Amino acid sequence: MSKVSGRTERVAQAGETMIKVENLKKHYGGGGVFAQPSVKAVDGVNFSIKRGETLGLVGESGCGKSTLGRTLIRLEEATEGTISFDGTDVTTLTGDELKDWRRNAQMVFQDPESSLNDRMTIGEIIREPLDAHDWKDKQDRQERALDLLTAVGLREEHYYRYPHQFSGGQRQRVGIARALALEPEFIVLDEPVSALDVSVQAKIITLLEDLQEEFDLTYLFIAHDLSVVRHICDRVAVMYLGKIMEIGETEELYENAHNPYTRSLLSAIPHPDPSSSSHRITLPGTPPSPRDPPTGCQFSTRCPAKIRPEEYAHVEHEVWDAIERYREVVRERSRMSLGTFDRLKRSVGRFSAYDDIDETVADLFDDLDVPADIREHVETAAELVKDGRPEDARSHLIDEFNGVCDMQRPELHQVANGGHLSYCHRHTDEYEDVDPVITRRTRDT
Amino acid sequence: MSDTDTTTTRDELTGYENIPVRTRIAEAPRPFLEWATVLIVLIAVEFGTYASLTIATVERAFVGVTALFDILLGFISEGAAEAVVDLQQGVSKFLVGVADAAAALPTLLSREVIPNQGHKLGPNGPWQGTFMGLEPAVAWGLRFTLLVVYALFLSYWVFRGWQVYREHYRQADWTPTDDMVGRLRGHRWGQFGILVLVLYLTMAVFGPALGPTTVEQNIQSSYSYEIEYYNGETGEVESIPVGDANFNSKSKGGGENVGPMSYDNYGRFHPFGTLNNGRDLFTFLMGGARITLIVSGMAIGLATLIAAVLSMISAYYAGTIDLTVLTVADGVVSVPRLLLLIMVSAVFANHWLGGIIDGGFILAMVFAFTTWPFLWRAVRGPALQVAQEEWVDAARSFGQRPRTIMHKHMLPYIVGYLLVYASMSTGGIIIGLSALSFLGNGLGINPPTPAWGRAVSLGQDYVSTASWHISLISGLMIVLLVTGLNAFGDGIRDAIDPETEGTEGEEAAAGGGA
Repeated sequence: MSKVSGRTERVAQAGETMIKVENLKKHYGGGGVFAQPSVKAVDGVNFSIKRGETLGLVGESGCGKSTLGRTLIRLEEATEGTISFDGTDVTTLTGDELKDWRRNAQMVFQDPESSLNDRMTIGEIIREPLDAHDWKDKQDRQERALDLLTAVGLREEHYYRYPHQFSGGQRQRVGIARALALEPEFIVLDEPVSALDVSVQAKIITLLEDLQEEFDLTYLFIAHDLSVVRHICDRVAVMYLGKIMEIGETEELYENAHNPYTRSLLSAIPHPDPSSSSHRITLPGTPPSPRDPPTGCQFSTRCPAKIRPEEYAHVEHEVWDAIERYREVVRERSRMSLGTFDRLKRSVGRFSAYDDIDETVADLFDDLDVPADIREHVETAAELVKDGRPEDARSHLIDEFNGVCDMQRPELHQVANGGHLSYCHRHTDEYEDVDPVITRRTRDT
Repeated sequence: MSDTDTTTTRDELTGYENIPVRTRIAEAPRPFLEWATVLIVLIAVEFGTYASLTIATVERAFVGVTALFDILLGFISEGAAEAVVDLQQGVSKFLVGVADAAAALPTLLSREVIPNQGHKLGPNGPWQGTFMGLEPAVAWGLRFTLLVVYALFLSYWVFRGWQVYREHYRQADWTPTDDMVGRLRGHRWGQFGILVLVLYLTMAVFGPALGPTTVEQNIQSSYSYEIEYYNGETGEVESIPVGDANFNSKSKGGGENVGPMSYDNYGRFHPFGTLNNGRDLFTFLMGGARITLIVSGMAIGLATLIAAVLSMISAYYAGTIDLTVLTVADGVVSVPRLLLLIMVSAVFANHWLGGIIDGGFILAMVFAFTTWPFLWRAVRGPALQVAQEEWVDAARSFGQRPRTIMHKHMLPYIVGYLLVYASMSTGGIIIGLSALSFLGNGLGINPPTPAWGRAVSLGQDYVSTASWHISLISGLMIVLLVTGLNAFGDGIRDAIDPETEGTEGEEAAAGGGA
């Protein structure tokens, strides 16, 4: 297949770094004086993608993985940080330079229903990138569109059909053909199969693998299906609340996960063997709002291996668990702001809307043998909440129960060879490693 | 071409699209020729009407556009402004001359071919001057019916042209338009709207030939024309100026009345009766249809254009630009429309700008200015929705120009909504225009040019008398047209948006076979 004309031909070596992302941030809103705090969708991300590889990006919905993908191909403007593509910082490109660069990086979208314009024929859709870049002449563009149709496993007669007439899998093939039209080197696959039937998923995955081999493509594969990622990716990055928690070679990461978040994710994959001894780690609660992420480690509010402060190191596991749940409840309370009438009531001491906190305390702690000092702090916080001051209650609990995970951002530590990095305080020598802690704590429950 | 067979070679596939429509027609010219021949005949028989109307429209548009230049240049230099006025007058004169010449071309269904104006030779005596000696009412009825049939058939034939194209010359065997037309086929209410719209256009285009007499003869220069009639008292055929005949044919209730479908004392037939000043109501209404069409068409066209461009810009760029447009639109909306119209009419009352299209130009501009914010608001929602679609992201990701994205990926999805809201807003403009003419006193279309609102106004003193027809018939015309436009809008909406009808399931089944 002929190379797109006009592009400087360079000898590309598989395995060299193609994309290097440094301290990339994407925050939404928060500009004005009256604006709410900004949403930190991507909050300081570092990684690199090697030429010819497939990097998987996994995480639960809302963790910022799609935003990261979109920022990489300049559909979103980065708030901070650099994305260097073959040595050029693409976050600063504008005008013709940007348009020219866009040929190199394309995207396949998640929803095949929405990614194709229903009023255009398949041929027009696939040809449009070529038209936009004035690629050769009309006859060549049509030839190329037909080549692409064949390449993605559709038939040439489909050229004059409309998207309406195709199934989800076929539409996704058209989307892939469009992404390939300009012969890009790098393609962001944003959950390309999650909207499809399982039987179709396998075919699309195989197609993507074949195309990668045929056209020397580099993929960023965004997904939440861990088994699909294991199948197609060379390396995997795990994301949580705008931050990469762990990154490494696929097999290494799946067999030997170091980060508590990755471990809990992996434990959720169903095992076909019923006698398998692995414990499922159930994460409590929901991820915190990206408007107000924790000061310390992003995962600290739900972490099964959270480091406790020195003085509470010997508290029973159940009690500590209850404290963490209690803190989350208080934290959620503090995010709601009171109306004028409630403030008035609060100032005369007749505020009662939060009295149900007592029930929460009873639910969490009554069955447990709680040491007196902890009991006291819990009660103090409950009183503050009842007074209508959950912020004070929150800071009281922070002062009392905060450990290093709550206060300090961890660093990405090298945990094994091959660039296997993990974002956790437990990888420093000071603390016990993740594995024994999780094994102990999950065995207890 | 129900389904392309698998043996189609690549050359055929790519080659097919490279063949321009003209060549495709040349290869199989028969269906096209059949269609085109009939169309040419249809147009040829009324060529004079179309030509004069087109040239007159061009002339008015030219005057309007140069007027804007004139005003703008007037701020800079008086000399330049005067040069523009000179040019304007010269071209305008020339175009009017051409239009008149075109209007003089013979047409098949004209008043000359089927005349209805004549007089009796005796008290019961045969009619002279009418078509084949028929009674004026019959002659007029014949011409009217033929014209309406002609107009309906012409409209059908234009639609037929699209069918021929789809069947014989289009590459795709299915496009989204097919479904829209299909849905409109079963939509009686929408079809009623289309029918009203076609009849209204017929009135506007063929107005001069539809009426029993002409605006020029009966209304504008009634003392420059004379008619002959059989005087029962003297027993002779006499002649009288039209103005005098009008004077004696007033409908003012009581004894003085010429009602619908009746003759006056001068042997003139009045399908809708006469006005309180003796003029023919039907002719008056036909004349009013044309001016209404021109003003409302200009206003809604301009408003739609502004709304379309701004809605796409504000949806695509969002943020500050959206907010700016929103603020401007809110500002415009807060201006009371009727007061602005009255004010502008008063300011331009004696200015030559106020004389273009009998005052209609200025009104059209004001209507456009006050209508676009409503249209913009109505389509901003759909535009924002389309801007969120992934195909817009996809287009941005390969570096498509914003203008092309808006045009190719957004406009097709909002044009339907625009059509719906535009047709409904047109009703509002027509009512507004009628209201101004109803108020009179220098507002609305300048008399004596006919305007529907003025007819209602003229008849308002006689509503409870025998001359009820003046206000009622003109009022019903307005109601019917506005209802028709709303019906048309409803039909279009249901056609472009199948979900409103709940036929989603059927559609999915139909598409599943592909």
